[in-house]
Amino acid sequence: MNLVKKSAIALTTASTLLLSGVSVAEDLVLSIGSRGYGAAVGPAIESFEADNPDIKVEWLKISDVPSESRKLYVTSLMARSSTPDVFAVDVIWPGEFAQRGWIGPIGDAFSEEELGNFNASFKEAATVDGELYGVPLYVDGTQFFYRSDLLEKYDLAVPQTWEEVISASTAILAGENDPDLTGFVSMWAKIEGLFMNWLSFTYANGATFFDENGQVRVNSPEAIEATQTMVDMLYKHKIVPESILNMRPDDARTLFQQGRAVFMMVQDFVYAPLSADDSPVKGKFDFTRNPYFEGHEGAPATAMGGFLLAVNANTEHRDAAIKLLKHMTSYEMQLSAAVNASKSPGLMNVYDDPAMQDDEVLQKFGKAYAAGVVRPSAGTGSLYPKVSDAMQVAITSALHQSKTVEEALNDAQAKIEKLLAK
Amino acid sequence: MNAFNTLERRTQFVGIGFVTPTFLVIALILVYPVVQSIVLSVGQSSVDGFEPYRFVGLEHYAALMDDERFWRSLSVTLIFTAISIPLELVLGVGLALLMNESFHGKGLARLAVLFPWALPTALNALIWRWMYNADYGLFNAVGLESGIIGEPVNWLGDETLAMASMVIVSVWKTSSFMALIILAGLQSIPRDLYEAGRMDGMSRWQEFREITLPLLKGSIMVALIIRSMDALRTFELPFSLTDGGPDSATETLSLYAYKVIFEFVEFNAGSAIVVVQFAVIFLLSLLYIFTLRHKD
Repeated sequence: MNLVKKSAIALTTASTLLLSGVSVAEDLVLSIGSRGYGAAVGPAIESFEADNPDIKVEWLKISDVPSESRKLYVTSLMARSSTPDVFAVDVIWPGEFAQRGWIGPIGDAFSEEELGNFNASFKEAATVDGELYGVPLYVDGTQFFYRSDLLEKYDLAVPQTWEEVISASTAILAGENDPDLTGFVSMWAKIEGLFMNWLSFTYANGATFFDENGQVRVNSPEAIEATQTMVDMLYKHKIVPESILNMRPDDARTLFQQGRAVFMMVQDFVYAPLSADDSPVKGKFDFTRNPYFEGHEGAPATAMGGFLLAVNANTEHRDAAIKLLKHMTSYEMQLSAAVNASKSPGLMNVYDDPAMQDDEVLQKFGKAYAAGVVRPSAGTGSLYPKVSDAMQVAITSALHQSKTVEEALNDAQAKIEKLLAK
Repeated sequence: MNAFNTLERRTQFVGIGFVTPTFLVIALILVYPVVQSIVLSVGQSSVDGFEPYRFVGLEHYAALMDDERFWRSLSVTLIFTAISIPLELVLGVGLALLMNESFHGKGLARLAVLFPWALPTALNALIWRWMYNADYGLFNAVGLESGIIGEPVNWLGDETLAMASMVIVSVWKTSSFMALIILAGLQSIPRDLYEAGRMDGMSRWQEFREITLPLLKGSIMVALIIRSMDALRTFELPFSLTDGGPDSATETLSLYAYKVIFEFVEFNAGSAIVVVQFAVIFLLSLLYIFTLRHKD
């Protein structure tokens, strides 16, 4: 940190101290979705205000669907609004928002020890040019759900590899002979979730988005092979319905919950509705980490989602904002959100807390998230939305068979190289 | 002479005085955004001020010429308009003729026809998306149950079917709007023209061809212009029904421009799309106005 920055921080700290000395209340606007982390937010604000009588916090409730809240942020942050002071950002936004100057660096507020507890892929996603721009609020990601009753019926083991997923699906579909039953569902509509899917598949085959020299490499033989498997699941093995090309996460969840799919790979939020009392598959399903390809045992294959908290670069109350951010993402808060709202903590040491030891579901989630695949958002910055779109276009044209997998990925490679070269 | 001039000038001033406020309001809400879009489209800047505005000429337009997705969205928009507008017109005229007849429960029928128009498009689209769903939608359930279709149809997953599905929703929703305007036209046709026609021994079809249609031309033109502009700007329907998919088969110009501006945060490139769209709508309006003028 250079001298100017240091003195600037010292100055703001001094002025905040002065201000709080004459007890002028500071008003902060905190923006977090009301559904996901919601249950934990209200009490956390109350306890924060009790500890800091000078600071008032207004909770701006936003949508938990990233594309919805993004619209709100883009319009107000583009206008350089100083509020919300502290806000929840999707794991793929820090790179872009930092580059656009919408969120400010906050690394100076955290010790090495605190940083060491952050979920590693979240820390990677929040680090732009060596500076930390966000703190994990909660993590989620894709999980592999399966019908335990059907596997048992056909005496099949829980598939660990995609090869096993295909053979198990084929066997069960042949045995059940039910036109309404399908092997595998996921979100393969042209949405961000499709890119997450593709990352899960390709990383599971040993591919990486950036090669060892940091260059984009989306058309490696491993990536082509994995993508071809997705296409083959549709047209060759026919274990995936063609309607998957329209499915968003909740469409897949609906089918699986109706008992009409053997396997499903979607984000973990589906666990709650699937295990609800009125769910037809309650007690008949379980989940495990995403499969890998034969010969790539243990490859990271969990496409990470989730939210971080960040501080508005133009906030007028930086110190109060950081105080609030630290409070909202503290160990106690993450534990309370885990216990009360079933949100997987983004601090890895929370999983060891005695209160969480018995929560098998979150423990399993947490284990998978330690081996997560983070989307290439920190490395592509403000270009990430275009990169993701280029990938969605390419994967879609391969899945629709309007291009061969190789053509589609070569096109994407060329397009992304051109984008990043600018 | 002199006195007359002063009077005339005074009237002029009064006139200008009356027109100015209206003109200013129109300029503000109409001309300013158009000019601003054009200015943005020939420059490079970032809205948050990181990058100051710099003139780049037609660079963004040149990029559009090479952009497959732009051409696709332009053709999607034109095809959608070209198919849905004639269908809406035919249905709209039919509905208007029906509503113009006197029958029991006419008020209720008119209300029913207007219902789809009164529902917000985004809501409509969501209801239809549910009905179109390939796995648990209404159409496939009814079709399979009654044996009309042998296996589930992937309504929104097939490029042609998705376009057809979108046209159906649009026709369902907006035919009633056409009908409403045409009904107003129908009611302004004097009854005695039909009586005179009947005396001359005209058939119902001749009545329609010789009296109704020519006198309806004005309202049909108005309905056509309004609906065509609407169709060329279609945004909520693909946004909520298909999100432009599958692939980009239902991505209209508006939807593409929205994505470029709000998802990619590229105001300049997005503005170029918007300006092209404006030009297309402008040309079409001119075309309509000229056709209208020639016939009169």
